[in-house]
Amino acid sequence: MQPGLSFEQAPPISVPFRFFLTAPVFGMAAGLLLLWQGPAALASRWTGVALALTHLIAVGFMLQAMCGALLQMLPVAAGANIWQPQRVTHLTHAGLTVGTLLLLAGFLSEQALFFRIAVPFMAVSLGAFALIVLVALFRTPAKGPTILALRIAVFGLIVTITLGATLASGFGWQLALPLTELTHVHAVWGLGGWSLLLVAGVAYLVVPMFQLTPPYPMWLTRIFSVMLFFLLAAWSITWLPLQRPAELQVALASAAALLAVVFAAVTLRLQGQRRRKVTEPTLLFWRLAMTCLILAAAGVILQQLKPGEGEDYAGTPFLLGVLLMVGVFMPVISGMLYKIMPFLNWLHLQKVGKPGLVVPNMRQMIPEPRMMVQLKLHLAALALLLGAVPLPFLVYPGGLALIASCAWLEWNVVEAARNYARFKEELAEKLAAEQPD
Amino acid sequence: MAEERTVDGRGLMPPEPMELTLTALDSLPDGEELLLLLYVEPHPLYGILRKNGYTYRSQTRPDGTVEIRIKKA
Repeated sequence: MQPGLSFEQAPPISVPFRFFLTAPVFGMAAGLLLLWQGPAALASRWTGVALALTHLIAVGFMLQAMCGALLQMLPVAAGANIWQPQRVTHLTHAGLTVGTLLLLAGFLSEQALFFRIAVPFMAVSLGAFALIVLVALFRTPAKGPTILALRIAVFGLIVTITLGATLASGFGWQLALPLTELTHVHAVWGLGGWSLLLVAGVAYLVVPMFQLTPPYPMWLTRIFSVMLFFLLAAWSITWLPLQRPAELQVALASAAALLAVVFAAVTLRLQGQRRRKVTEPTLLFWRLAMTCLILAAAGVILQQLKPGEGEDYAGTPFLLGVLLMVGVFMPVISGMLYKIMPFLNWLHLQKVGKPGLVVPNMRQMIPEPRMMVQLKLHLAALALLLGAVPLPFLVYPGGLALIASCAWLEWNVVEAARNYARFKEELAEKLAAEQPD
Repeated sequence: MAEERTVDGRGLMPPEPMELTLTALDSLPDGEELLLLLYVEPHPLYGILRKNGYTYRSQTRPDGTVEIRIKKA
């Protein structure tokens, strides 16, 4: 190993780690809210409780982990440098953490004041994050399907933030806005235009790299992100006229859902063709997520073909929400954290290394059996929460299992952070011992 | 012309390719080239190479393999 090599492109390890340490806490909070509210949480998608739950997971858990991963991934995987990474980190982390709490307080108390504070706070912090990341993505000399998907995803995030800020302004200042329509479009951009495209962009890179599969076929990577973007954009426009083109809306939503099925099916097929038939936790988290994506997309298509039904019945949106958030995005994020954190530990420990000093292996950062325990807890949470639609009392064990899964994830994330500190100290001690007096 | 040194990182689990490359660079004589084969552009490695006085050229083959040729500046 080269002595004294510098690793200029990796931002300090504290940059991504603070996001990863915070995200599971909001997942646990969502579980607690389910326990507190019980079956009332499933009554309707429009209650304050349902909206608080959604945002605890979507912003508190998902966006928190995604922003941390993106800030780290852009320089390492895409050669894109973030302007003022430390300041952007402070601003984004505060925006996400305090912002989630403000939304939670606003939805649960129905006090306008919380939304009046949340709107400027979140719009500035998250808006700045999205714009800075977008600039970095346009300035990098790197090319390829990942960069394209990430650019469109961040644009999708900007749409989501703008619509979210509009909706929150509606709550904060009692504006006469078409809240239902805006909420549909906000949710679809958040889950599809941002989250799914981000997962796809990351998948093109990490699925072949870490799971040793063949690369994604070019026909898919060329069309997926652009086509999904245009389908979502066209679908969003159909909400504008008073006389809505209902058939066109169904066709566009179904086509977008079908596209998601294709992406998930290709990913599952590639994973089946991996060169080393090792079954490790990240692979299983991804396979669970892709299976749930197919189920959720099928659910969306069925819901489209049966218009009217499910509008007032809370079961359908709850089912889709659980499938997408607990079934797709939380597992992908958990699986990715179990690759990203050990890799970052390894990368940053190289800085202290010198010839003859061996940096601990990536596998030593988080014990694999502990990742598997979290996978099982998460599977239990998913099954119980899906079961809560026909059997509402299952929301209690489901909430408990969600808390357990997120607590276990937190423990594993803390373990990775502690191991980084421990190995760094050990390497420094070995180096000091070798220095002549 | 000296025999070309190659690290084939395709099919290896990260960070193995980077470990092998950095080890190979330790013993790379001046003027000789190291050829690294991967399925991705190794941006972290590029940063390390630039900072430590190496030059590199990369090009992508039709099968998606990225060839990176590294030597001391």
